[in-house]
Amino acid sequence: MEPSPKPRVALVGCGAVAQLYYTPALRELEADGRLSVVAVADPNSLNAAQVRAQFPTAAWARDASELPAHAIDLAIVASPHSMHAKHSIQLLNAGVSVLCEKPMASSVADAQAMMDAAASASGVLAIGMSRRFLPATQTIRRLLALNVLGDITSFNFSEGDASFLWPVASPGYFRRGDAHGGVLLDIGIHALDLMLWWLGEPIETVYEDDAMGGIEVNCRLRCTFSQGAVGEVRLSRDCALANRYTLRGTKGWLTWTVNQADGFEIGFEGAGHLLKAELYEAVHTIPHAGPGKAALNFEQSFVSQLSNVLGAMSNTEALLVPATEGIAAVRLVEHCYRHRRLMPMPWLSQSETLRGTELNRPDLGIRKAMAPEPIRAGRRSGSDFEAARCRLPEQLAQPALTDKATDVGQP
Amino acid sequence: MSLKLAIIGANGFIGSRAVELLHLEGLAEVRPIVRSINSLARLSRFDLDCRVADARDQAALRTALEGCDAVVHAVSGDPATILGSLTPMYQAAQQAGVKRFIYLSSASVHGQAPAPGTDENTPLNDRQPIVYNNAKVRAERRLLSLRKTGGVELVILRPGIVVGPRSWWISSFASSLLAGDAYLVNQGQGICNSIYVDNLVQAIYLAARTPQADGQAFLVGDAETINWADLYTPIAHALGFDLNEVPNLEYVKPPRLNWNGLIRKVRTSHRARHLRKIVPKALRRAIRAALTREAPPLSPWADRTQTRNRPPASPQATLEMALLYRCPYKLPHAKAQQVLGYEPVVSFAEASRRTLGWLEFSGYPVRQPWHFSSNEVGRARAPLTCAGQPVP
Repeated sequence: MEPSPKPRVALVGCGAVAQLYYTPALRELEADGRLSVVAVADPNSLNAAQVRAQFPTAAWARDASELPAHAIDLAIVASPHSMHAKHSIQLLNAGVSVLCEKPMASSVADAQAMMDAAASASGVLAIGMSRRFLPATQTIRRLLALNVLGDITSFNFSEGDASFLWPVASPGYFRRGDAHGGVLLDIGIHALDLMLWWLGEPIETVYEDDAMGGIEVNCRLRCTFSQGAVGEVRLSRDCALANRYTLRGTKGWLTWTVNQADGFEIGFEGAGHLLKAELYEAVHTIPHAGPGKAALNFEQSFVSQLSNVLGAMSNTEALLVPATEGIAAVRLVEHCYRHRRLMPMPWLSQSETLRGTELNRPDLGIRKAMAPEPIRAGRRSGSDFEAARCRLPEQLAQPALTDKATDVGQP
Repeated sequence: MSLKLAIIGANGFIGSRAVELLHLEGLAEVRPIVRSINSLARLSRFDLDCRVADARDQAALRTALEGCDAVVHAVSGDPATILGSLTPMYQAAQQAGVKRFIYLSSASVHGQAPAPGTDENTPLNDRQPIVYNNAKVRAERRLLSLRKTGGVELVILRPGIVVGPRSWWISSFASSLLAGDAYLVNQGQGICNSIYVDNLVQAIYLAARTPQADGQAFLVGDAETINWADLYTPIAHALGFDLNEVPNLEYVKPPRLNWNGLIRKVRTSHRARHLRKIVPKALRRAIRAALTREAPPLSPWADRTQTRNRPPASPQATLEMALLYRCPYKLPHAKAQQVLGYEPVVSFAEASRRTLGWLEFSGYPVRQPWHFSSNEVGRARAPLTCAGQPVP
């Protein structure tokens, strides 16, 4: 019997996520003989060269449209997320299966167009929500399904750091017109996806953020579920938050540290001790089951993700994150942006808050960047400065620096 | 709004609040300048003409500064960064046609515990025991020297302890309380020459607009005379602690740090503790192994038995804190009042309220609000040698 040919893989977008996570995973699977990386696409030749250094035989194209689709079975779309829909649809229409990095798209309309393309295509469309492949998040989902914590009454997910550590290559990452969103669309899509995966769809979501003409750096969601659970998701690119997800139920509670692949803590009502779980592969032997190898780590979750997609392409397993589930998180993000309001920021003066509220307008669509009104000249009531100026002697109310003569002499 | 103001170091604590306040109040057309793309993160809330340029890259700075009336140097860092950024920045401002250069120096040019009577006329000393102070003294001298031959006007501001949202003085004390390693010296009874960040932004704004300020240095501070216990009592209370129970330490000159001691110091820092929570374990172990030159533990169990039941490191007072906590003198800002028209716009009580609000916003477990009584602020808990302003 002839061995089945190895799937031929292309990497579209050779930026940070491709270099840090997909390249090692692809190398591992290539070494195992499970796939072959045949092409990379990136307009930045340096980025492409970084990845091709690991896959010397891979061809380079500047754009996904230049890839030889007939010679590719699977494309990993890791381009900037505003390009996800375009690249994914192109490739799906050409008969190529797609694993699209998160977020699936910048708008529900784009995500729906991707799903429509996938419906009439021969390939599969998977969404790269890699956290679903962590042993810890999978085990938590199982514990919740088994009602180990009882009925979930509340939860609190927090994620943020005072410094932005992800190696960004372009200032466009932080521009509203290019990025179409901030912390919610970026890292927040993981938090929302896990919330939806663990708890289902909320019946009500209240959202606030601090975008004032730009993208949100801080945001908070309050979600209510039909079973009565109420919880908060707090995200930040500005504050060092706890980086923990806590779920509370009628029987106990569970806490997971962000990105911890192999463990979490769980406690039960009335119990004097908590359980600090460290995960191992389960080995089912007779007569006793026991721990096998240590659970996969964070980086290895990308190998699992790719394996799942390869399995779906060969019809041997179901996709863990199909597009129908990827779009759910995008839908929730879009709902948030449409109904955004300004987060209370207690350090702002009254007039700053008023101006911030003017600038914090709901988006009518994520991709349509709002052009905020220009700042009005002059001070507004409620300003600390205005109050101070009122107290100053008149002779000290100086003209602006630019109002005086332009010659700059020696001191 | 005719003032076009560039702020270099706009992602930092002072710079980011200056951008926020001046932009939202419509006081200036702000151009934030940061060193790296990642530093744009905090500023991306606003639709501003942000630029990326290293503070030591004169050519990049020149391009970034074009069209601006004034530039604020709000770059923080070690002495090499402080001193290395001055000439490129000043020359770039001159080439770009910027009219005024505002340098954020520090009241620490007078030392952490200045003698009563100290003001802007007091001669500066660059042989102090704190290297930061010396760097700031030398920075002022270098800029004044550049001004003698350069065409860009220069105003130097000397803020004291800058407090408020995102202030290290606030977040580090709150984190220390929660971590169990907070301490005071002298029961926190020394004068804290505080300035709420909005008051400093007010001084920056005035420094950019006041013609006669050129070539001068100005001490700037809050209106009230407070001590360190006044500053920290609301924070402790809000987090559920009693400041009276915070250990009171004396400064002990430490032995010179060896390599492992230095690594331990970095590892036990608040920043490292936070990063430890979010950096994947495999990467943490690799970093630890590389730094300590030790093999990583073979088994996670070995790692746990080593760390289990380890007592928390006891805090040690630093020389800087020991001096600050014994400060006997409220620095005056009379010159800033006279020349710049500076008046602190936010009271200490309001500043504390806003700061506690920020702590809660930032995820600190704020349990209860703090209410000031009329005699709470500035109340001396021990006799002080204070020639500062009267308590309002």
